[in-house]
Amino acid sequence: MSMNISPTLNKRLFSWSLSEIRHGQLWPVSIALTLIIACIFALTALAERMEQVVVKQGKDALTADTVFSSANPIPDILLAATQQQELTLSLQTRFATMAFSDNAMKLITVKSVDSQYPLRGEMLLSDDKNTFTHVKPGELWLDERLFSQLSVNTGDVVTVGDADFVVSGRIVEEPGLSFNPFRQMPSVFIHDTDLDKTGAVQRGSRVRFSLFINGDDRAISRLKEQVTLTPSDRWRDQNSASRTNEVFQRTEQYLSLTVAIVVIMAATTLVLTCQHYVSTRRKTIAMLKSLGASRAWIGRWLSIQVFILLLTATVLGIAIGVLLEVALRIPLVDLLPDPLPSYGLSPALIAVMTSVLIAVPALGIPLLGLLNVSAANVMQSSSDYSSGKSYRWLILVPILPMIVAYYQNTMVWIVLGGILVLFLVLAALSLLITRAIAKMPLKPALKLAISRINRSSIATGIQFGALTLSLMLLAVMWLVRTDLLTDWQRTLPADAPNAFALNIAPYEREAYLAALDEQGIERSDDYPIIRGRLVQINGEDAKEYAQGGEGTDALRREINFTFANGIPEHNEVLDGAWSERNGVSVESDVASDLGLEIGDDLNFVINCQQVTAQVNSIREVEWRDMKPNFYFIFTSDVLADIPATYLVSFRLKEQDDSLINQLSREHPTVSLMDIRSMGAKIQQLLTQIVWSITVLAGLGVIAGVMLIFTLLRLSLGQRQSEIQLYRTLGASKKRVTQTIWAEYGLMSLIAGVIAAIGAELVVGALMVYGFDLLPSLHITLWFALPIVTFFTLALVVNSMIRGLLVPINKAFS
Amino acid sequence: MIKTNSVSKVVSTKQEQLTILEDINLDIKTGESVAIVGSSGAGKSTLMTLLAGLDTPSDGVIELLGNDLTSLNDEARAAIRSEFVGFVFQSFLLIPSLSALDNVTLPCLLKGEDEDTERAKSLLTAVGLEHRMEHSPAQLSGGEQQRVALARAFMIQPKVLFADEPTGNLDQQTAEKVIELLFELNKQHGTTLILVTHDMKLAELCERRIRMHAGKLEES
Repeated sequence: MSMNISPTLNKRLFSWSLSEIRHGQLWPVSIALTLIIACIFALTALAERMEQVVVKQGKDALTADTVFSSANPIPDILLAATQQQELTLSLQTRFATMAFSDNAMKLITVKSVDSQYPLRGEMLLSDDKNTFTHVKPGELWLDERLFSQLSVNTGDVVTVGDADFVVSGRIVEEPGLSFNPFRQMPSVFIHDTDLDKTGAVQRGSRVRFSLFINGDDRAISRLKEQVTLTPSDRWRDQNSASRTNEVFQRTEQYLSLTVAIVVIMAATTLVLTCQHYVSTRRKTIAMLKSLGASRAWIGRWLSIQVFILLLTATVLGIAIGVLLEVALRIPLVDLLPDPLPSYGLSPALIAVMTSVLIAVPALGIPLLGLLNVSAANVMQSSSDYSSGKSYRWLILVPILPMIVAYYQNTMVWIVLGGILVLFLVLAALSLLITRAIAKMPLKPALKLAISRINRSSIATGIQFGALTLSLMLLAVMWLVRTDLLTDWQRTLPADAPNAFALNIAPYEREAYLAALDEQGIERSDDYPIIRGRLVQINGEDAKEYAQGGEGTDALRREINFTFANGIPEHNEVLDGAWSERNGVSVESDVASDLGLEIGDDLNFVINCQQVTAQVNSIREVEWRDMKPNFYFIFTSDVLADIPATYLVSFRLKEQDDSLINQLSREHPTVSLMDIRSMGAKIQQLLTQIVWSITVLAGLGVIAGVMLIFTLLRLSLGQRQSEIQLYRTLGASKKRVTQTIWAEYGLMSLIAGVIAAIGAELVVGALMVYGFDLLPSLHITLWFALPIVTFFTLALVVNSMIRGLLVPINKAFS
Repeated sequence: MIKTNSVSKVVSTKQEQLTILEDINLDIKTGESVAIVGSSGAGKSTLMTLLAGLDTPSDGVIELLGNDLTSLNDEARAAIRSEFVGFVFQSFLLIPSLSALDNVTLPCLLKGEDEDTERAKSLLTAVGLEHRMEHSPAQLSGGEQQRVALARAFMIQPKVLFADEPTGNLDQQTAEKVIELLFELNKQHGTTLILVTHDMKLAELCERRIRMHAGKLEES
């Protein structure tokens, strides 16, 4: 028979396909497809947003796309090169000097900027009447605290170096965000045309020259290639600029993990719902073949339905995905750039492509198998009456691109490994457990349940596996979120110091500390600070020894050293032990970057003197706890003879403002950094990220619960006629419900426990190998998972109980 | 019309080989009505499956309307069925997502032809369902569904009609009505009728009865 394609045939097939989708068992398939597309779209778009946040935060922290920073004036060759590349520039000169008012004097940091500054981020200056965003010639803008420390108001005269300035107003907001207190000094802004008249920048002065650059990434790369750096030069980019980047990077990792997990869950739903659909269609296909439908005709009929499904899922999925992205974006609104750049077409394309790749084997294998159903099945249902090729090779369709896309993503492989192990363990455990339980004396409902599970072990095994897998993945998403948040709470803990006093001279140290102690201010120990540089390791040049690794500040520039009588309590010793003489304790990341070991001899240059010490220990430092921390801590004998200033950190409350002003007046050369507002900023940022992650995890959990709901419904639906038979034979509603709860409750309990084990192992591996954090145990999970499953089971039973209680004859009439 | 020559059907399972049919020789003439009877497991449905071209025998030759079914592939046999063969099944096998009228016109759709809605309506009227044409199978009783199936079977004006336990799922009163319609339509269309049944009263309505026992044919 040749299939004549009449004009109305396609129309009829199309309308029949719509009807088939409505009446048939295809709606769970369409829901699964829609879910895949919606989640991938939303999460991919959100990942795009997070990338924008990271880049913006980084650049804002930097106040430019990149910064050239040097202890020497900006080389002309660099200035000429930037002009060639058509980049936007801004120059800043930063130095410390004394500021004098009629009543007081203070050591300050002066930032001399041009009219372009800042190129990124926000600077707000206020004269109490108006706000301004740039500095003009002749102006002087003071840090808020300096008003009381110098006892001045707007309009008063302050002398900076050799020059007199009229105070223009206060710095309301300064661009840039840094955890390093040594870079957050109370500062003033002047215009660079006024720099010379201060007389502060002389040969030998300690000055930092910065060239801020904005422009195209490629132009910036070309620029960098043209410049050779001296030891005092460095480039700073947005990736190195901000410690908060660690938070954003982990958020991005979590996003990609959640996408992968949701896709796996939705793909599992798709496979199972499609298999269920196919199992209900064998007879129909056999009937159509018996009436003369050709293979081509049936293929066309099925293709039209799949096309409609994919089209509907795409439209609905993207629409829901757009709404989801908006919802997920709400907590991040303050962090995102304004105007908000579009995420483009890539989320939609990725979502559709991924769902098609998954649909090819998930739908393709069972549907192509349907084509092989023999017409003889119409009278004799038997699996022996199916013939033809197997299409299992289609499973490579999503797997190969997945390998290509994710082969470097450790976390996805950990999750996949966990899934594989789970199924192997599950197969063995579930059968062992149910067989063991079957030997126990049981109530009738439980006995019936166990008997049934044991009879249909493969079918039960598949459902069991899918249920356990879904629970495990759901748990993984939630636990990773929890563990990440626990780690982030160590960023600025509630009792962290929020003020640093540095540059405390030896002669004023006791008085300063006494003033703090008298007021009951919680403070750290005081630390002597000496600046120096590591130059040799075991007699070799340090850079050569470290094989060119400049990833650490330890080699790039002068850093702050300290000496003590022991290792601070808040640093954990990883290797070695403190020695009494000639020793230095090294921070673990620096030790790792430089390849240092216990016993290595290190040579330092401090104030033009050579100093040697032997590595006595390696310790771990939690930089985010805001306590004074150092890369190198020497034994007292090594540095005690070298002049030092002192540093102390402490925690201020609101009522301590007057003390601070008093200290500033009495110790004008001490630099006091109050980071309360910066801390508040960081906390706010973290709160927003936490919200976003929680909404994301919530979305994943909802997707997981929906999957479990669908699985349980499918399974219970397949049992419908059997359960109706019990009713027909006189079982009470109570007995029927008990039977269902016995079987599915047992399955849920075992699945919940096994899923908890699997989730703990997978999350532990993710923490260690994915996020570089310590794993932890989650006891509440062991109760929560079975409870979630029971709750979902209750919903399913509730939604189906009426149909299940209808006796068979009534069902047939 | 239908001829078989030394037809056998052997099925292999994991444990053993089962001989379902053995050395079947049969000749059914045009316009005959034949009942295939026998106990459960005798091979009645298997024989009907082979005669209708839904499957092929392990041995022997089957001719249907002059075509050697054993030498044809699946597609060719389907093509013959679409033109010349009608079916009525025990469990009706209507498409749940189509109305009664659409179920009747289904064979036209399968052939890729325009649906002859008028013919379908007249068939449904003939089986007493003129007021139920737009109803879905879920809205019809068992007897009504079987009547729709009858109308569908005669839609293509088949040369031969195969009925597999057509009254198996119906109560006696409904079964009698359906049988009456089946034979009436059969007579009107001059179709050769082959039916499998446990119902001896139905079997006796046919001109010829063939008894199957343990895979072998016994004429009665």
